[in-house]
Amino acid sequence: MTRYLRLFGVQLRVSVAQAMAYRANFLVSGAMALAQIALTLVPLIVLFDQREQVGDWTAPDMLVVIAYFIGVKAVLEGVVSPSIQDLVQRIRDGSFDYVLLKPVDAQAMISASRYEPWNVFDFVGAIAIAIYAFVRRGSAPGPAEIAAGLGLFVAGVLAMYSLWVTCAAAAFWIGRLDNLQWLLGAIFDTARWPVQVFRGAWRIVFTFLIPVAIMTTFPAMALLGRLDVETALATIGGALVMLALSRLVWRAAIRNYTSASS
Amino acid sequence: MIRTLKALPTLLRIGVAETVAYRAEFLVWILTMTQPLIMLGLWTYVTRDGAFRGMTSEDFTAYYLANLIVRQLTGNWVAWQLMEDIRLGTMSMRLLRPIHPFYAYAASHVAAIPFRTVVALPLAIILLASSGAHALTHDPVQIAAFVPSLVLAWLITFAVMFALGSLAFFLTQTNALSEVYFALFQIFSGYMLPLAIMPRPIAVIADWLPFKYTLAVPLAILTTQLDGHELGALLARQGAWTAAMLVLAIGVWRLGVRRFEAVGG
Amino acid sequence: MIRARNLTKYFRVHRRPPGIGAAVKSLVHRHYETVKAVDGVSFTIERGERVGFLGPNGAGKTTTLKVLSGLLHPTGGEVDVDGFVPFRRPRELLGKITLVMGQKSQLIWDLPPAETYAMNRAIFDVPRDQFERTLKELTELLDLGALVDKPTRQLSLGERMKCELAAALLHRPTTLFLDEPTIGLDVAMQVAVRDFVREYNQRHHATVLLTSHYMDDVVALCPRIIVIDQGKLIHDGDLRQLIKTMDPHKRVSFTPTNHVADDELAKLGTLIGRDGQRITVRVTERELPAVVGHVLSSLHGADLAIEDPPLEDVLRAMFGKTGKGNAEAAS
Repeated sequence: MTRYLRLFGVQLRVSVAQAMAYRANFLVSGAMALAQIALTLVPLIVLFDQREQVGDWTAPDMLVVIAYFIGVKAVLEGVVSPSIQDLVQRIRDGSFDYVLLKPVDAQAMISASRYEPWNVFDFVGAIAIAIYAFVRRGSAPGPAEIAAGLGLFVAGVLAMYSLWVTCAAAAFWIGRLDNLQWLLGAIFDTARWPVQVFRGAWRIVFTFLIPVAIMTTFPAMALLGRLDVETALATIGGALVMLALSRLVWRAAIRNYTSASS
Repeated sequence: MIRTLKALPTLLRIGVAETVAYRAEFLVWILTMTQPLIMLGLWTYVTRDGAFRGMTSEDFTAYYLANLIVRQLTGNWVAWQLMEDIRLGTMSMRLLRPIHPFYAYAASHVAAIPFRTVVALPLAIILLASSGAHALTHDPVQIAAFVPSLVLAWLITFAVMFALGSLAFFLTQTNALSEVYFALFQIFSGYMLPLAIMPRPIAVIADWLPFKYTLAVPLAILTTQLDGHELGALLARQGAWTAAMLVLAIGVWRLGVRRFEAVGG
Repeated sequence: MIRARNLTKYFRVHRRPPGIGAAVKSLVHRHYETVKAVDGVSFTIERGERVGFLGPNGAGKTTTLKVLSGLLHPTGGEVDVDGFVPFRRPRELLGKITLVMGQKSQLIWDLPPAETYAMNRAIFDVPRDQFERTLKELTELLDLGALVDKPTRQLSLGERMKCELAAALLHRPTTLFLDEPTIGLDVAMQVAVRDFVREYNQRHHATVLLTSHYMDDVVALCPRIIVIDQGKLIHDGDLRQLIKTMDPHKRVSFTPTNHVADDELAKLGTLIGRDGQRITVRVTERELPAVVGHVLSSLHGADLAIEDPPLEDVLRAMFGKTGKGNAEAAS
């Protein structure tokens, strides 16, 4: 276990070193993060300028969903996506072989191999938005809600991670992944609205098939105290199932790689 | 000029070959232009309780589907191409060719239009079959005016992107630039939200930026009621912006190339 | 100890002729061919041996190495490395072996090799003091000096290879799989790498399996040679034995003091070369004493030399026979 922690530590240090290699980026990245967050908020600003509430959702409540969206996205673009891109590069230039030769689990090794550290700004922004939302709401979440909110945040991140790993496994067959990743990102974009925004078939798709609901809506509802226990447990269960499935797909991909790479 | 015209068929053919070669990328790039749909999702939900600032569910449907179609047909990647060519140094090769790079890039984009049309067609069909069809204009004059408006929108987009890409002659880190550009585009072109529902100041500023004329104007021609006078004014302003942006593009390019040649590429 | 018994590895490859028609057809019906990369290869290698794998391009050498290191799982047969089944990639085994691929790098490109070393230390869970000791030893043997602190992309090919070797050996593996480690290196660096490998083998009693296109690597480093061609093992033994089996001739060269008529020359043996004054003939072992005697007494040949045929020629002839092109076909 300590082996893996040390590995992640080294990988993080290495990524930060690489990010620091381009010094000008600090301020620019901070500014860009702020701009992106502002952009994400624009539709809500326009909306709630006119309306108090849309369906079941008030302005502050929707802000919390957006906060989770920005937070999960920060993890996605800060860790998962760069690592997967690193994986694809390794597969392409053949150095993935070296990953298989190391006495650590290959999936662990490629999951957090590269970071884009500046996404920490986005993460901070997400927390700020959540705090502001509760201020607007006039009430703070209780300890149970905070615990649930954090727990389901982790579940949401795991769900997102599982989706991306499954996509990455496709890299072993396809070889090029940039576009598939872009596609996943576009789908993930729907997580910015509460899943209730979508009707009928789409809601089913986004709850069970590509469960963006697990990633943002339900965790937000948990923090807001709007989520019942059954759904909360189901969300966690769902995330774990996705994790297990993605692991199976990954293993299948490796098996395929070690039978075909010449 | 004559040489360029003579080379045009070849340029177009190569452009088609490029498009076919990158078809998978294009397809996915097309699939990733989902923002209008995501926004539409929100606004259909909102308008269930009634129109929002005068726009009904049908209005939004028509707006965003048409948005997709126009984006499909006018969106281009010449800024990215320029930035890559300058960064990798392959720009030197392009400058040595007897055809001005502007035409070369334009030709490869024009060649891709048939492909983009094929993708836009299903979208158009969906639009016509959807509830948004009601919100489209029935005025034959407006419908006819849509095509030239689209052409002008394409030209403006190309020119602005060309100018943007040419900035890579001056800057090394162009990622931030692209992000800033896209952020401005999203707000002021009507891509993210119809300018009609945006706060007044935004709509006013949008008049003085080129973005609106690449998207919002063709959309307005297609989805709102305009009298002859208004229609003419819109087209005229598009025309003016087209000319201005082309001048800007060539200007920035010229300055950039001079610098490029001075520094040795 | 490494043991391979009837090792086979087949690949199913999708072959598609060029052209749009074929491309479209391939969407519907794919035509697969089976490539027999390794076809029934058996050998046993004891701890501490240095073995060279020779063969033309595509013969199956790299595939064999990959199977032995666990990167590929075999189609048939058995493989055993130190009592482990490699393709299951058991942790214990991975900590004992290393694979160096001359064409692929494990060093992080933008950062100094030192960072890769730190990463490997974490991965292999090497205690700090052992790590320092090993690194010191490797730095000395490979003459790394300040190289480890320069970003990898700034290093020359030779410098990179040295750092690559160090990265591969930080965990003190006892089995080394080296796949074309000297490719692209200049002669001095090739010698340095060879010397290093030999030194490491002797110090740590490590088993070394080497594939190379450069005859010199194999001749200088490996007392035992395994020749693989078209997936089959055609020779396993030492170098002299190989040459004797494949080409049981000797080369006799001398400088004649008088003019030697052509028919006289023909009686000696097959003329190989006439380099200025020097004549070289090919002679069977049986005929050797007679020829030597004749050259010395009748022809008064000076500077007589008796040599084995060069390995390149032997291999060229071997693989030329099978029509596969020659083993020296390095770029």
